[in-house]
Amino acid sequence: MSSPTATGPGRVLVAVYGLLAVAASARSAVQIATDLAAAPLAYLLSAVAAVVYVVATVALARGRGAWRAVAWAAVSVELAGVLTVGTLSIVRSDLFADATVWSDYGQGYGYVPLVLPMLGMWWLRRTGSRTSPALDAAAG
Amino acid sequence: MWIPLLVLSALLSGALGAWAAVRAARDQPVIWRQLKAGAVVEGVLVLEAAVAVVMALGTSRPHDAPTFWGYLVTTLLILPVAAAWSFAERTRWSSVVLLVAALTVAFLQLRLWQVWQA
Repeated sequence: MSSPTATGPGRVLVAVYGLLAVAASARSAVQIATDLAAAPLAYLLSAVAAVVYVVATVALARGRGAWRAVAWAAVSVELAGVLTVGTLSIVRSDLFADATVWSDYGQGYGYVPLVLPMLGMWWLRRTGSRTSPALDAAAG
Repeated sequence: MWIPLLVLSALLSGALGAWAAVRAARDQPVIWRQLKAGAVVEGVLVLEAAVAVVMALGTSRPHDAPTFWGYLVTTLLILPVAAAWSFAERTRWSSVVLLVAALTVAFLQLRLWQVWQA
C-alpha cells in the first residue's frame, strides 16, 4: 500500500514539490558555483529553500510515522520563510543583491512557493484526520 | 534545426498535456498509450539535446551556459519520472500529474530558447 499523503491529490502535490525542489536546487547550485560573492545572503537563502523543498518532497512521498512530522516541519519552515523573506525583500530590498526563491512571496515562480506550503498543511491535516494514529504506527 | 526542434517539443508536450487534461476532466487515469506518446516526446527531446551538444561543441554557445545545461538535463528527466510517478496512481490524479509535467516541459522549451539567446 502506498503512503496516504502521496495518493490521490497528494500525488500531484508531491509532483509539484519535486519540480520546485529540482528548480530551486539547480538554480542555487548554479548561483553558488558561479558567483556567490555577488549576493551571498540571497544565494545562501535560495540554497536553504532548496534543501527544505527536497525534504518536503521526500517526507510527503513517504507520509507515514515520523515522516509526517518531518513534512509538517518542512511546510511550516517554507511558509515562515516565504512570508519573512517575501516581506523583507520588499521593505528591506537593500539586504538582497539578487532575487531568491522566496523574494516577493515567490513571484518569480508564479507564487507557487507561497501557495504550496498552504496546500501542504491542508493536505497533511486532511490525511491526518482520515488515517488513525494506530494505523500510521502499524504501517510505519 | 535547433529552433524548429524546440517548437516541435513544445507543441508535442503541449498536446500530451491537453490529452492528460481531457482525461483528468473525465475522471480517467493515465493510460499506456499516453506513456507511448510521452516516449515519442522524450525521443524528440533527446534529439534536441544532442543537437544542442553538437552546436555547443561548434561555434554557437548558449549565452548563460550553466543555466542552459541545467534546463536541458531537467527537460530530459521530467517525463520519465512523471510517467513512473503518475502510472502508480490509478485515479484522475495521475492525469493531473502528467498534465503538470507536460506543461513544465513545454514551458522549459521557451526558457531554453530565452537562455540560449539572452
